[in-house]
Amino acid sequence: MAMTPAPDMTIRRAAMPPLTAAGLAIVALLIGVALLGPLLTPYDPYQFSIRMNETPGADHWLGTDDQGHDVLSRLITGTRLSLMFGAGAALIALGIGAVVSLFALSLGRIAETSVFSVFDLIRALPNILFALAFVAAFEPGAFAVMIALGVSFSPMFAMITRATWRQQMARPYVAAAQVLGASPLRVSVVHVLPNIVGALVTQFAIILPRCIVLESVMSFLGLGVSPETPTWGRMIANATQYTEAAPHAVLAPILALSVATFGMAIAGNAMRRRFDPDRRRIAG
Amino acid sequence: MQRRTFLTTLAAGTAMATIMTGGRAIAQTTPSQGGTMRLSWGTLDTPDFHRHTGSIDLTHPFVETLTSISADGQPRAMLAESWEISEDGTVYTFKIRQGVSFHDGREMTAADVLANFERIRREVQGGWLTSALANIEEMSTPDDATFILRLSTPFAPFLNVIAEAWIVSPDSPGWDGQITKAVGTGPFTFDTWTPQLELRGRRFDGYWMADKPYLDEIVFDVREVADASLALRAGDFHASSIPLTQVQEFEENPDIEVTFRGDTSWSFVSFNNRVARPPFDNVRVREAVAHALDIPTLRLILGGEHAVASNQMVVPGNFYFDQAISDADPHKQPDMERAKAILAEEGVNPGDFTLEMVSTQGNRLAGPVSQTLQQLGFGVNNRAYDDLGFQRRLSEYDWDIFPGGSGPRNDIFLRFVRFMSDGPNPGLWGGVQDPELDAMINEAAATVDPDLRRQHYLDAWKRISDRYYTVVIGHTPAAYGIRREVNDFTVAFNTSTHRVDGGLAYAWMNTGT
Repeated sequence: MAMTPAPDMTIRRAAMPPLTAAGLAIVALLIGVALLGPLLTPYDPYQFSIRMNETPGADHWLGTDDQGHDVLSRLITGTRLSLMFGAGAALIALGIGAVVSLFALSLGRIAETSVFSVFDLIRALPNILFALAFVAAFEPGAFAVMIALGVSFSPMFAMITRATWRQQMARPYVAAAQVLGASPLRVSVVHVLPNIVGALVTQFAIILPRCIVLESVMSFLGLGVSPETPTWGRMIANATQYTEAAPHAVLAPILALSVATFGMAIAGNAMRRRFDPDRRRIAG
Repeated sequence: MQRRTFLTTLAAGTAMATIMTGGRAIAQTTPSQGGTMRLSWGTLDTPDFHRHTGSIDLTHPFVETLTSISADGQPRAMLAESWEISEDGTVYTFKIRQGVSFHDGREMTAADVLANFERIRREVQGGWLTSALANIEEMSTPDDATFILRLSTPFAPFLNVIAEAWIVSPDSPGWDGQITKAVGTGPFTFDTWTPQLELRGRRFDGYWMADKPYLDEIVFDVREVADASLALRAGDFHASSIPLTQVQEFEENPDIEVTFRGDTSWSFVSFNNRVARPPFDNVRVREAVAHALDIPTLRLILGGEHAVASNQMVVPGNFYFDQAISDADPHKQPDMERAKAILAEEGVNPGDFTLEMVSTQGNRLAGPVSQTLQQLGFGVNNRAYDDLGFQRRLSEYDWDIFPGGSGPRNDIFLRFVRFMSDGPNPGLWGGVQDPELDAMINEAAATVDPDLRRQHYLDAWKRISDRYYTVVIGHTPAAYGIRREVNDFTVAFNTSTHRVDGGLAYAWMNTGT
């Protein structure tokens, strides 16, 4: 089907705003730390010791926590884990939201109404409440939290999918495909999907930091990963009990979480601008 | 005296007084009536105190008992004025205190005591009192002031254990089913209870201790908070428990006095002894874990400088502590190589096992113990639950290991009883299926002579240690902060806020606070 237009992924060469550059640099740094984590940790992040609540110094650059763990090592490991759990949740949300809604849209009005009623129901609940109820109903743990967050954020992908799918369905290449006998499902998957990927990726970049923050909240509440796993949320939860004795142990993951959220939000915004068709038209 | 001399003397006296009192008002020494004392001191799960399975922190100021545990851990007469025990240790004759009124104004008699013991035996399933009251053969009240109990076998912990056998008026609403408002004899009346929020009690004017209580009202804040110390510092609470990590800061705070409870909590790593399964059905594997654990460091993590080293249920200084057992402790230092060697000798490949570990959220041992097991080569699935989830999961006995702890108990029997095959609350982690251990603990409990009883308990403990049913990590005290405007409020052996020789009935507040 040669009439399917190539997705417009061209990048305009223009001066990158400093804020965007900072956001992208933060994201790049986070990804780098996550990928190289085990090579960067000065100590075993799980090894407890009698050197508890030590302030930052030459041996432990970010000090130690209440169980004698090296805070820097746990922070580095936590970067990988938090990104992994956050990305896992966002991918699940993308999978459920985009794939299910695309199928429903292809199958017709009844399927669309039914499926989107469920998405509306999920959307009506605050993410954290839904996730808490979900995890409470099942066994607490990293996988349950990822599923819970994924399901709770899935309507945001479903809505984007529906909006962009409708836009694309009005385009001539879709009519051409239909004339040539492509089934509704084939039209959606083969022809429309490549043209809405940009919007979904943008949404992913926006949802990812929210998933990381919510995973941290769930871990903080004791419903996330197992207690010894050093995600940022777990680190904050453990260290808040010893804020006065070891303020550095709680500040480090809080700062990491704040900086990561900031960087990803900036990067997400940049992607949104890049892939927004209206903005592209104006710019072009 | 000349005017100049008088003024000079007055000024000097004032200056001296100011120096001696640190600039604060001169301490009031005579108890004064009035005031509301707010405490963050535990929680309450039901107003039917007979069914209360939690701590005894809040119960005692409202409903009293025949005996009360004093600061030295020994039972003292409370609603019983005195007692006599037959030589064979089976017949207890209590002289019931006269002139004691329930909060509804009716005078308490021996018949009320009998009615409560009967209700506990009839209504309460499980819990600490089950064993104590199970072997009562006969109860009688020859007159209003005498209550006689006959046990089928001697039971040495009896007087300590019945310090939790609440004497409630049989006229309390719900007596025949669920008591909805306990009418007791305590210094405060059980007025309003808002679950998960607060419990209020006003002064009982007809209280049997002369002139007591001094406070007009007590308020227990029963919200579950991890750390009430900030509210204590701010003056929102007059007394609360404080984390051990903050003891030093509170000791430097001139507004707050820090005090410690008499009995310690002990922490341990226990195995699933009720439904033992591989690899921990092999005592040598349990021993290997004990060798791998870095107990001195774990103890520091638990309680810092306040942690107490002990490889027993009690700490040095306790009657039941044994120095020889302590000296012979083979796990004073970790020995990972020996642990791995034992596993190899037993043909156990740790990589074949993913251990189910159960803990509570916030348990400070869980992470390090999981880490140690992983260093041994085991896979670990560490599940952390809230209190209810923890109890439920433990009761399912589908786990392998759990790090836990246990608070103060009125008698050492109540620590041993958990190891018994049909212990009163086996869901908590006990229930070792070892008939010989059952017999040893029962024999200890039935032994009237204290020294001989101690030896029986030590024999039982040695069996528990040798078979590695549990591994003791150490003991921690419990610290409490009491604001200085509160006087004569003392903490004793257990967590109770009222006893015959101290507690809330004795507490009073400085005038104007």
